[in-house]
Amino acid sequence: MSDAQSVSRRAFVAASAAALVGLTHKGERGVRGGFVEDGGAAGHRLRDNASLGPVRERRRLPLVIVGGGMAGLSAAWWCEKHGFRDYLLLESGDEAGGNARAGRNDVSGYPWGAHYVPVPGKQAMLARVLFEDLGVLRNGVWDERTLCHSPQERLFWRGEWHEGFEPMLNDSAADRAEFRRFQDRLDGLRSSGEFTIPVSRGRPARSALDALTLAQWLDREGFRSRALRWYADYAVRDDYGTAARDASAWAGLHYFVAREPDEKGPLTWPEGNGWIVKRLLERIGTRVRTGATVRAVSRPHGGRVVVVRTEDAEFTADACIWAAPIFVAARVIDGFGASPPLTTAPWLVANLTLREWPDERGSAPAWDNTIVDSPGLGYVNATHQRLSRPGGPTVWTYYHALVQQTPLEARRALRAMSWRDASEFVLSDLERAHPTLRRVVERVDIRRYAHAMARPEPGFLSAPWRSALAASRGPIWYGHADLSGLSVFEEAQDQGVRAARRALAHIGRG
Amino acid sequence: MAAALFATVCLIAACGLVYELVAGALASYLLGDSVTQFSTVIGVYLASMGIGSWLSRYLTRGLAARFVSIELLVAVVGGWSSTLLFLAFAYTESFRVALYAIVAIIGMLVGLEVPLLMRLLRERFTFKDVVANVLTFDYLGALIASILFPLVLVPKLGLVRAALGFGIVNAVVALWSTWLFRGVLGAPRALRIACGVVLVTLVGGFVAGDKLMAAAERGLYADDVIFARTTPYQRIVLTVWKDDLRLYLNNHLQFSSRDEYRYHEALVHPGLAALPAARRVLILGGGDGLALREVLRYPGVASATLVDLDGEMTKLFTTHHDLAALNRRSFSDPRVTVVNADAFSWLDAHDDTFDFVVVDFPDPSNYAVGKLYTTAFYRLLKRHLARGGRIVVQSTSPLFARASFWCIDRTLRDAGFATSPYHLYVPSFGEWGFVLAGVDPYVAPTTLPGGLRFLSLAQLGPMFDFPLDMRAVAVEPNRLNDQVLVRYYEKEFEQINR
Repeated sequence: MSDAQSVSRRAFVAASAAALVGLTHKGERGVRGGFVEDGGAAGHRLRDNASLGPVRERRRLPLVIVGGGMAGLSAAWWCEKHGFRDYLLLESGDEAGGNARAGRNDVSGYPWGAHYVPVPGKQAMLARVLFEDLGVLRNGVWDERTLCHSPQERLFWRGEWHEGFEPMLNDSAADRAEFRRFQDRLDGLRSSGEFTIPVSRGRPARSALDALTLAQWLDREGFRSRALRWYADYAVRDDYGTAARDASAWAGLHYFVAREPDEKGPLTWPEGNGWIVKRLLERIGTRVRTGATVRAVSRPHGGRVVVVRTEDAEFTADACIWAAPIFVAARVIDGFGASPPLTTAPWLVANLTLREWPDERGSAPAWDNTIVDSPGLGYVNATHQRLSRPGGPTVWTYYHALVQQTPLEARRALRAMSWRDASEFVLSDLERAHPTLRRVVERVDIRRYAHAMARPEPGFLSAPWRSALAASRGPIWYGHADLSGLSVFEEAQDQGVRAARRALAHIGRG
Repeated sequence: MAAALFATVCLIAACGLVYELVAGALASYLLGDSVTQFSTVIGVYLASMGIGSWLSRYLTRGLAARFVSIELLVAVVGGWSSTLLFLAFAYTESFRVALYAIVAIIGMLVGLEVPLLMRLLRERFTFKDVVANVLTFDYLGALIASILFPLVLVPKLGLVRAALGFGIVNAVVALWSTWLFRGVLGAPRALRIACGVVLVTLVGGFVAGDKLMAAAERGLYADDVIFARTTPYQRIVLTVWKDDLRLYLNNHLQFSSRDEYRYHEALVHPGLAALPAARRVLILGGGDGLALREVLRYPGVASATLVDLDGEMTKLFTTHHDLAALNRRSFSDPRVTVVNADAFSWLDAHDDTFDFVVVDFPDPSNYAVGKLYTTAFYRLLKRHLARGGRIVVQSTSPLFARASFWCIDRTLRDAGFATSPYHLYVPSFGEWGFVLAGVDPYVAPTTLPGGLRFLSLAQLGPMFDFPLDMRAVAVEPNRLNDQVLVRYYEKEFEQINR
């Protein structure tokens, strides 16, 4: 009898106390926000071969650059740097920048994509030249304010934040041993000289490591630590939008091995690489035209000139730099041939505007904040580089590479998603680490990228179409990160500048 | 008679739930993370109730007397529970042990109550009525308590008095039970006296509840708290014991009025007395106005700008009688300008230059403060230094935090300064250190201002000499992208606290 009594009473006591705890959680205030246009409309007009309008402008000029992402901007930067200003850069979006575009609100500037550049090592010459140009590198010393401030990264693991990934990777003796073995293995690969940044500096024609996926390589090497496997998968999702089971082992290992920074970094700005974009655009001035979607590129007169047709203009140029994605080239460039076998990764990026920092436990807020075993990649704090004491409103940029499905399925899911679904996904992921997040979030603005970047799948390194495009003799030169296969700043810059060098030489201005 | 009995059930259920809620809320207040605290408190409480119910089988005789005694025990332990927990938090290291022990004891006693009561009632009513009525009133009591707790008890009474108030209810129920069960209780006289004693102490506690709460907070500090305020930036607490006034920021001692003159004379005069032409002085931090007091001793100083983050601090030290007396009303001096801003941002946004800069920030115990000890910060500061100017930096203890001290010196040198580190003994802090830095090498002063209590010219020489156990160690400089200083400091203070 007493047992039956206490069971029912126990249930009541528990329920009433739980209700009391529930009372302490204030309801969600109205979160505002919406989708930010992702430029898909212009792209799909192109895909659907919508009819062209009449030509309102005809112009003859030496050089046209197609695409205003980091590759196109770098090509233009190279031209400017060499005193050549007789060119036009065509960008289909409302603003240039590509994956490095940025936004701004009352609180802070914030990135919509690429948000940092690893500190370029001594070998990354071009990147160093750019940063000397931009005043970030002076007399061999990196500007301390631009280097990411401490603490750089933290990991939400076992219910609290930990500074760095090391505590998790060294959790048990077995984890520690595997992590050490992994690092030894990386040191070995580093000394092979096969992994360089940019890739074109030391690119091997082929590599056995490009024949298998990163997951297969980890299996083969006997890496079983759950923490290490998660870390490796996180790295390739973060850099390439590709899971370890799909990414080439060579690409995955490149992430860990290629860079030899001479300083603790990375370089970062509140608005991410949008800071670089803005400085490059200042130099390019009026030679950039936005809202100009290139609909057709042809090579009449035996290929001596290039005719670039936009919705309402036609440019005849001696040379053209194609700095837009390669899957678009196949639709637009006359005689390009079949679209290369290249898959692209869909991404979702959300910018959350917060009234104040939400509750959390563990180590202090870092620049990059990752949640272990999350479908997302965590968030970056836009106000981290402020010199003043932390506090007050801020903006978080949340990244999510959709690797759980095939790219095609994920793109469909992304398109079908309502803003409410998408923001609910973001909030419920982050809420695990910040239980009071909904009380402080004011806006969730979301950008969907159907084709954010090329996926470096096994075989990407020796894909014949890549070397064929790289070897183009003009008058169209290809300069885009797709040619390297790794969608990172250094590759886009390298490809853009290589194409610019050749195009300038071709028109006798190099 | 029946109504009185079932009202008893209702009341004891309410009391039991209130103690549980008090423990859960108190643990949430003091430790944070309300979900964990409530979950574990409820878990321990319910499990203990189960143990109590199970133990009830071993009570076979004198049930009524046992019931009254248990009620009294609940009244004592439950009534004093929140006071005990506050004191445990203030005076002991084992708050959690006290928390779960008290919750377990109350849980067991409450678990005993109801089975005993049911058995007592079984002799007067049919079994089905006993079960139905006891459970009904049990739940009803719990409902009343759960509504009263957030709406009335916590806002109107606070946690200490809420528990004491329900302790009184338990004691009254015990006293009342001696009449209810007078048929089965042989000689209730002793029980009634016990009830009276418990009631009197609980009522006394209830009346003096505020004072008990204050005593618990006082326990956190050794002396009487005369001022306590939480600002957006920190918790400011002032304590006094006899003639010793002490300032704590976030529980860290900032000064003791008995020996602060040693610290502040040593902070200001070795640098400023060596610059007879100094006219413009900048103080970063130092919202207590004590470094400012020393700066204002120099008639040549035409302007002194003090930049402190916390407006509450500078206001307190401008308006509070004893505190303004301590800094000799330096904030009211016409030469002084007070700016409440973040020092790093303020320097970045202005381009004034100064002849002497006093950098008196809290110790670099976290990354937010650590930024103010970086090469980036010192380089910025250098741009604000007039020709021949000098800065002095409070640099923690070269004895207890040796690597931290020398890291600050190294950081200043990396920022392009010539440094002259020195140290002194401050009784309330221990061995303490500063670093003087300038573009040109330091030359010691030949005169000092009058009226000093510690520093003399003869004393200066030994201050710049470091005994073997405080001498320089090899360290890295502290930079924005690699704040080694915070790690040195954390490690060194871990060792001290061990």
